[in-house]
Amino acid sequence: MRWALSDSNSKRRRLPESGQWPDKLMVPAIIAAAVFSTAGFLDAMLRVGPVNGASVNGFALIGGQVVDHVQLLSQKIFYFHMPVAIVSFVLLVFAAYYCVRYLVSRELRFDTCAQVAMEVSLLFVILTMVTGDLWTRFEWGVWWTWDPRLTTYLILMLIIIAYFILRNAVDEPERRATYCSVIGVIAFVDVPICFMITRLIPSSLHPVVTRQGGMTGDMAAALALCLIGMLLVGFVLYRARFAQVRVDQRVQALKDELALFEEEGRAGAGSADVWPFSDAPLAAEPHTQPSGED
Amino acid sequence: MARRSKGLSAVRQYRLLLGKDLRQEFRTLDLLSSMLIYAVLVIIVYGASLATGAADADIAPLSGGLLWALIVFTSLLGLNRSFAHEREQGALEGILLAPLDRGAVYLAKATSNLLFMLVTEVIAVPLYFFFMASGVTASTVGWLALVLLVGTVGMAGIGTMLATITAHTRGRDVLLAVLFIPLIFPLLYACASATTAAIVGGAFWMDTYSLGLMLAGAYDAIMLAVCWWLYDFVIGA
Repeated sequence: MRWALSDSNSKRRRLPESGQWPDKLMVPAIIAAAVFSTAGFLDAMLRVGPVNGASVNGFALIGGQVVDHVQLLSQKIFYFHMPVAIVSFVLLVFAAYYCVRYLVSRELRFDTCAQVAMEVSLLFVILTMVTGDLWTRFEWGVWWTWDPRLTTYLILMLIIIAYFILRNAVDEPERRATYCSVIGVIAFVDVPICFMITRLIPSSLHPVVTRQGGMTGDMAAALALCLIGMLLVGFVLYRARFAQVRVDQRVQALKDELALFEEEGRAGAGSADVWPFSDAPLAAEPHTQPSGED
Repeated sequence: MARRSKGLSAVRQYRLLLGKDLRQEFRTLDLLSSMLIYAVLVIIVYGASLATGAADADIAPLSGGLLWALIVFTSLLGLNRSFAHEREQGALEGILLAPLDRGAVYLAKATSNLLFMLVTEVIAVPLYFFFMASGVTASTVGWLALVLLVGTVGMAGIGTMLATITAHTRGRDVLLAVLFIPLIFPLLYACASATTAAIVGGAFWMDTYSLGLMLAGAYDAIMLAVCWWLYDFVIGA
């Protein structure tokens, strides 16, 4: 009875639920993220030696090798640059997965998942760009070069930004979700191709930067620590943002229901102000109401 | 009613929809004339901006990229306008109400966009070479036409999909550009490298050219398949 008006729609909107089981992992995840990131940072800065063959001007003795300060610090960027980039890709995979799930199931919560994954991914993409720029500046001496990897990553960033511009440009939730999911899927198909094409086509102007030489064991350990830490940071950010968006949607839905309920009460019970409140249903059927004889 | 129950074959639906778009365009020539004038204006902008510094410079290595920039911007203009008619009189709703195959709707729209782009290119590209790079030999014309065709097919396919999305959004013109350029980037890269290889020549130009063309063709195939699959969701939304 109370939901008479909304029942007349094909399906009543369910309230967006929030607080699923992954939220219980938040506190341990935050602690673990802090521990792993800090350990990775300290390990990379203090213990790990530089890549073999790094050039030396000034002197410092770290990890049994003599290196200069500029080279030393710029090499350390790598331990954060690569994990952050990997996390951005992982989040993009999740976003694409949720986009497909939305298209299949048409449930708006998958769209919210995709949106939040994209948001956190954009954050990590920007972090990758910043750390990468520091790297190119100090190692290659330029701020930017049209290297295939940089180019494709820039395109990836632009696609993610376009995703959000599209989100802002559509008002209806279902239509917005559909359009954004489609773009999410296309972007996911597009990016590997983009990478492959820029790699395959030879370009005399912009040589492919090849990374030769393997990593030593302690470098891999530092990298793994940072990677685990960054993955946890990504997870925590994703869950925190998801909970926030979800609660926001829930409040909005409750407000809508309340407004609907009040409207029904006013429209359904035309003489509610004179009708005794004691045992009458709040919004009874109109034809059972004594309408205006009093 | 009898026809309805029998249903139109997908090919006939496609031809009807395509015929509608072409008839509409060739009666007014709205789209084609504006695309052509825009293309000429872009060439003039190129001329003005390059003439100051590069009167005697060799722009052959750049001309492939410049040509593709011209095509991208002209296509954007056309794609933006391609859903204007459908939106204005509620024609899109009519098309959706009719029992038509959504794949046929997509292919018809993509084909009409492709044809408009190709007509524009047939006029604008010779003009481009006339003004900017008149050193092109007759033997490369066929190769250039081939790569132009492959690139335009992909841009029409992806662009039709994106234009359908942006037709229902606020600020649709800008949004189409924002979505279109990153998503066609691989195609643009492959086509521009193939075009430059064909124009510049050299001993091994065929290697670069065929690789670029092959990649562009593969990208066309993948993206058209993906767009064809996703179009059902987009137009139903």
